[in-house]
Amino acid sequence: MKKLASAVVAAMALASFPALAEVVVVVNPAHGEAVSKDQVANVYLGKSTAFTPVDQADGSAIRGEFYKKVADKDASQAKALWSKLVFTGKATPPKEVGSSADVKKAIAANPKAIGYIEKSAVDATVKVVLTP
Amino acid sequence: MNKRILATLLALPLATAYAQDSSPTVKVSGFGTGALTVSDNDDAEFGRANQARGVRKDVRTGVDSNLGLQADMTINNWLSVTGQGLVRKDNQDDFGAEASLAFAKAKVTDELSIRVGRMGVPVFMISEYRNVGYLNTFVRPPQEMYSQVPFNGIDGIDATWQRGFGDTSVTAQVSYGRSKSKLAGGLDLDMKKLLVLNLMAEYGPFTARVGRADGKLTVSGAASLNGLLTSLRAAGTGYRLPELNTLADRLVSDEKDASFTSAGLGMDWNNIIGQAEYAKRKTHSYINDTTSWYVMGGYRIGKFLPYYTHGKVAIDNAPAYSGASACPAGYPAACTPTLRALTAGVGTLRSAGVGQGEQSTDSIGLRWDLYNSIALKFQVDRIKPKNGKGLFLNAAPGFNQAVTVGTVAVDFVF
Repeated sequence: MKKLASAVVAAMALASFPALAEVVVVVNPAHGEAVSKDQVANVYLGKSTAFTPVDQADGSAIRGEFYKKVADKDASQAKALWSKLVFTGKATPPKEVGSSADVKKAIAANPKAIGYIEKSAVDATVKVVLTP
Repeated sequence: MNKRILATLLALPLATAYAQDSSPTVKVSGFGTGALTVSDNDDAEFGRANQARGVRKDVRTGVDSNLGLQADMTINNWLSVTGQGLVRKDNQDDFGAEASLAFAKAKVTDELSIRVGRMGVPVFMISEYRNVGYLNTFVRPPQEMYSQVPFNGIDGIDATWQRGFGDTSVTAQVSYGRSKSKLAGGLDLDMKKLLVLNLMAEYGPFTARVGRADGKLTVSGAASLNGLLTSLRAAGTGYRLPELNTLADRLVSDEKDASFTSAGLGMDWNNIIGQAEYAKRKTHSYINDTTSWYVMGGYRIGKFLPYYTHGKVAIDNAPAYSGASACPAGYPAACTPTLRALTAGVGTLRSAGVGQGEQSTDSIGLRWDLYNSIALKFQVDRIKPKNGKGLFLNAAPGFNQAVTVGTVAVDFVF
């Protein structure tokens, strides 16, 4: 019984873990204008090319959380949408990087880039435009 | 002058690429379907539009299986290059490879992009991903409609303009170019001056589109058609029946006006899936003027999606001999039998060639999203040909029976 209870607690902790890492949307500090949640969603669902999106690794918790919060899609729904855009030649999927540090590097290198990172990873190289 | 512009255009991406220190990135992706298809009838074969062979009572993989590979190279912020190869059974009874996409795309502004090369012809709702099973609910696009434009690609230029108006996203696409392809039965199709307009609006889970394609259509290499046309003209001239010469001119498909007008609706709302399209084809040649449509509805229950589809194609108009059924008195005895043989020959053109015929299909199926990027599908089709063999292939003379076709397919993307 005790084992079961601790297993349940462990499972709950795991299940709620992704919500603990607060995700923020960041752009190059050179970008002056405000950015809405719809704009971000459109960029990441291939409906707008106003920014060059940078994605985190496929299957990562932060990626799942970002798509759920910003676009109300799970990562597999987003992947199906992108497959449609890719195989019709309409768009190329966002560049994928392995960590929040790499997202910041990509944003520093390109004034039109947009990305999402953990709030704790924010520093002077990026500007937070949205906390979904 | 042109050469200088071209050289500058080619050099520019390299220059900006260096300036931004972001070397070109290449992404490879792919899609495919492995399928088994079987029919309950041995008198005719069931196949997809433009396939040379279909399936009878023996199970075949060739009707619905394919494999596509795509490479996307992003050169810089505004220029990318895409190539896609597709392996499937099409106009010949072997798996063959084709370059389905090969273009360079330049992003002119945030809302406008221009592509040059080989692109998909956007005449249908799913024309550009009709071969990607994973992206579709059904196993194959309804053949009644998708057989009516039996070519996939356009070589030329297109412009796509996309803009959001509040919650609605609007896309306008204009393509211009030429489409050449090999059709089943040794025919060559050449669509010149092909101009396609495609307008699409997306509002949340709802999508609507209208499209129009116009071009100059040539279908050549049909020995039996050429023989018939030669005989019509010989008899028309020899027997002084000018209506036969006129008929031959109307039948021949030599840079004749052809158009395809279509509209479609789609939805994926609260687990209710719906898709419907309607189209009119018109040509000034032996190729039938048709009306084709289908309706698909489904309901998603977790990973399972049962669906039903009804599709239909009907001939609105086909050139026919409308003169007297016998030669005037005093003509040579051979005249009337010749006239009757020729007009009977003209009558067979309604069902001769790719996508020529009338039929309807009822399909029920189940899509099961087995795993991320993999779907398993089961589909049963009941196909009823009308006024002849419908769209069946290699049919026995006089064939006109309802046929049941079953398919199991695994679709994947990577």
